[in-house]
Amino acid sequence: MAGIGFVLRKLVRQDNLTSIFSGYLFSALITTGPWLFTILALGGIGLFGEKFSTLQEMAVFRLVIIYNFSFSLVLAGPLTMVVTRYISDKIYLKDVREVPGTLFGSLGILYAVQVPLVFFFYLGYVDLRDEIALAAIVNYFLISGIWMVSVFLSALKDYGTISATFAVGMVTAFLGAIYLAQGHPHEGILWGFNIGLGIILFSLIARIMAEYPYRNNGIFGFVSSIKQYWDLALCGFCYNLGIWVDKWIMWFSPAAQELKVGFISYPHYDTAMFLAYLTIIPSMAIFFLNIETNFYEVYRRFFQDIQGHATFEKITKNQKAITRNLLESSRNLIFFQGIISFLAIFLAPELFEVFNINYLLLGMFRIGVLGSFFQVLSMFMLIILFYFDFRKIALTLVLLMLGTNGLFTYVGMNMGFAYYGYGYFIASILTFAFTYCITFYYIDKLPYRAFVKNNSSIQ
Amino acid sequence: MNPNPSQADVCLVLEGTYPYIAGGVSNWSHELIQALPELKFHLLAIVPPNADLSPRYRLPGNVEGITHLVLQQLPLGRSRISQAKKWFADLEEPLMRLESHGTLPHLARIIELLAPLRKTLGRKVLLDSPEAWDLLLSMYQADFPGSSFIDYFWSWRMLVGGLYSALLPDLPRARVYHAVSTGYAGLLAARASLETGRPALLTEHGIYTNERRIEISMSQWLYEKPLGRLSVDKLSKDLKDLWIDTFNNYSRICYEACSKIITIFEGNQKFQTEDGADPGKLDLIPNGIDYAKFSKIQRKKSARPTIALIGRVVPIKDIITFIRACSILQKKVPDLQAYIMGPMDEDEVYFKECQETINYLGLQNTISFTGRVKLEDKLGGIDVIVLTSISEGQPLVILEAGAVGIPSVATNVGACSELILGNALESPSLGPAGSVTPLSNPAATASAIAQLLTDEGWYRQCSDTCRERVRLYYNKGDLTDRYRELYQNYLRAPELSQAVEV
Repeated sequence: MAGIGFVLRKLVRQDNLTSIFSGYLFSALITTGPWLFTILALGGIGLFGEKFSTLQEMAVFRLVIIYNFSFSLVLAGPLTMVVTRYISDKIYLKDVREVPGTLFGSLGILYAVQVPLVFFFYLGYVDLRDEIALAAIVNYFLISGIWMVSVFLSALKDYGTISATFAVGMVTAFLGAIYLAQGHPHEGILWGFNIGLGIILFSLIARIMAEYPYRNNGIFGFVSSIKQYWDLALCGFCYNLGIWVDKWIMWFSPAAQELKVGFISYPHYDTAMFLAYLTIIPSMAIFFLNIETNFYEVYRRFFQDIQGHATFEKITKNQKAITRNLLESSRNLIFFQGIISFLAIFLAPELFEVFNINYLLLGMFRIGVLGSFFQVLSMFMLIILFYFDFRKIALTLVLLMLGTNGLFTYVGMNMGFAYYGYGYFIASILTFAFTYCITFYYIDKLPYRAFVKNNSSIQ
Repeated sequence: MNPNPSQADVCLVLEGTYPYIAGGVSNWSHELIQALPELKFHLLAIVPPNADLSPRYRLPGNVEGITHLVLQQLPLGRSRISQAKKWFADLEEPLMRLESHGTLPHLARIIELLAPLRKTLGRKVLLDSPEAWDLLLSMYQADFPGSSFIDYFWSWRMLVGGLYSALLPDLPRARVYHAVSTGYAGLLAARASLETGRPALLTEHGIYTNERRIEISMSQWLYEKPLGRLSVDKLSKDLKDLWIDTFNNYSRICYEACSKIITIFEGNQKFQTEDGADPGKLDLIPNGIDYAKFSKIQRKKSARPTIALIGRVVPIKDIITFIRACSILQKKVPDLQAYIMGPMDEDEVYFKECQETINYLGLQNTISFTGRVKLEDKLGGIDVIVLTSISEGQPLVILEAGAVGIPSVATNVGACSELILGNALESPSLGPAGSVTPLSNPAATASAIAQLLTDEGWYRQCSDTCRERVRLYYNKGDLTDRYRELYQNYLRAPELSQAVEV
């Protein structure tokens, strides 16, 4: 995230309210922009699509998108984590010649591994018309590709173009879906959406190649780092699985539905949770701004001073500055996100009324808001742990989230409708408690960790 | 004499020398072992990590085994020990004392603490554990709170790691432990003596701490390898002092542990006493030469007065001063013939500088380079041996020439003055066998040579004296007998009382 952090620091350093505000706005845009555009496009297609298509076709469309989003995220997780680390190591060493090669190498491996699975699922497992199945497969690989390419975006400095690319892509997806649905009621929506995703994927690839105009050196250079960073790979897999496992378990609840083409799902739970996630967008913007500006400063000073022959007294002082920064930003986040979550829970009936959302979702939405409140706080601390390269403990916490989310969701599901969503909430609050205790415990021992435990010259 | 036949008589403790590195100390060790075939030797070779372990010497038949001790190389060992906090608290005081003003009991205390855990301990507990970190911090805060922490960190790891790597491995069993230097070799001899109750001896050729001191101030050897992202460019003065103090202290502990502290020339004894050696333990056994062989060489009167500097053409020999001295001398002795006998390829830049000086001074017909020579063939035709070195140990060439009856003029470094003027042990005093001159002083060197070449009575007196001195005090056979006697004495010695329970 080097490039964007630099721009943000410059914005914030201008030291007046307008620039701080524009810092937050910019931060919000780049953190959540792609996500926001995607949700808006999906919502728009859902809203207008029903005018041009059947309810059944719309259900298939929505499920294809949800299946593709969730499975591709989990399956791409290991590779995206490792490649993220590999690329940032390269950028740290100012050796960027392998960047475009790595992009194609990692896309190649990602696709090669998933082809059998995806083809089997859409052509063998579910019973879809061939033209829909084909569109769904293409959709899967476009989404997977975007996950992978996103890793390389941090190497670009040009976040305006990236946001614009997503905007153009999603507007195209929306218009294309509506236009194509009229002539091809079955697969038209999906193809329209695919065109938008294709625009995003290929523009981003083109943008990366323009930024790094090197021959394709070291295409598979990153493969050896999979072994070195196996813990990161496992983290990537388990983290995304931990986010999705409750939804997947809930697909087996008595209230779930199975389309006759073969998809199972529980749209009420999924929708309630997606809506709940929307409440954490402002926090993500705040967190991202802090980590790339204030936190990065204290973090860098800690390591720079060590190498600059600082005394231990100075090192301890810098360590305290890190702790202070984390405590302050956590406090601000908890306060700010607390207000938003409280408002969302309190005003939920009114919001549901305005947006015409099914009241059945209300309970799950409210508990989901609380769950995502704690989950987002844990995620922030995980990112801090990654900054300090405490990979093993990060992996442990990710496994904790996965295990508890799976277990308690299963238990909650069996206790009945009134307890739907409680599993996710309990898992989030547990993980939050552990993550905070462990992170501050590790920060407390930071010099020892940095000099002995995490020192590659020793280990 | 040796009650346990599986046990060696003498364990020679060698640091970075014999049998893997060729050089003066290695030659000495090799010849000593060969000269005492009736004794069984074991070698304890202290080597740096990744050392080339191909022997440069053919080991004599009486070397019954060789044990390697790799410095700075610790096993990983167990992950934790019970009551770690207390154990490290007990360790702290003696370990801190080892950095300065430590004594043998402090080393004994560390050995005692390590003893029950020695087989299973390693880097994980000793260097990488949280308790080891607290120990490091506590030592840092006690002595160096204002110093660069990263430098202290690496210094601590290397000093303490080096110490542990010398204290953990099993030692070979022997009746006598004989260290050939202080430093880690001396530390190990002290440890062996403490653990077995057998006597330890020390022979110091050069003063280890002086050499270390030069090494530390001149080079950045501490950080030869890049230490990852935590790399370092320079050590501050107080941390250099930490290194020097620690090695001084190792010397002192070794002196304390050893029954005899031997050196090869008197000048070293001053440093040994300064570094804390008990004067009562000091002994002097110089390196000797084969008097019988050299005294047989026939003198041949050359047509021109002939002088020679025998040594490598390198700056430490200060050949330039010799060349300038020749230039001054030539005014008094116009038909002077001067040779520089030794390899010229070790420092080609310096060799070129020497040649240019000769050309500049117009000495092309006076001075010639012979390259490496067989000394026995050349000595007969030389009138005076000259050394202008800025540093020497005990240059054997003065003795070899002396046995032939050739006087020397040498700078006042190392053992030169003792070899030429005699030392305190000489009785009755034989008088001068040449002259000793100040460093880089061509005029003084020239005038001393001129006196020998022009004053026949003085020349004869010096010539007789040097022959006599070598015959009486530097005959290799006699000196070997002194080691034989010393070993016999200590092989029979009862167990010492200072031994620790291990």
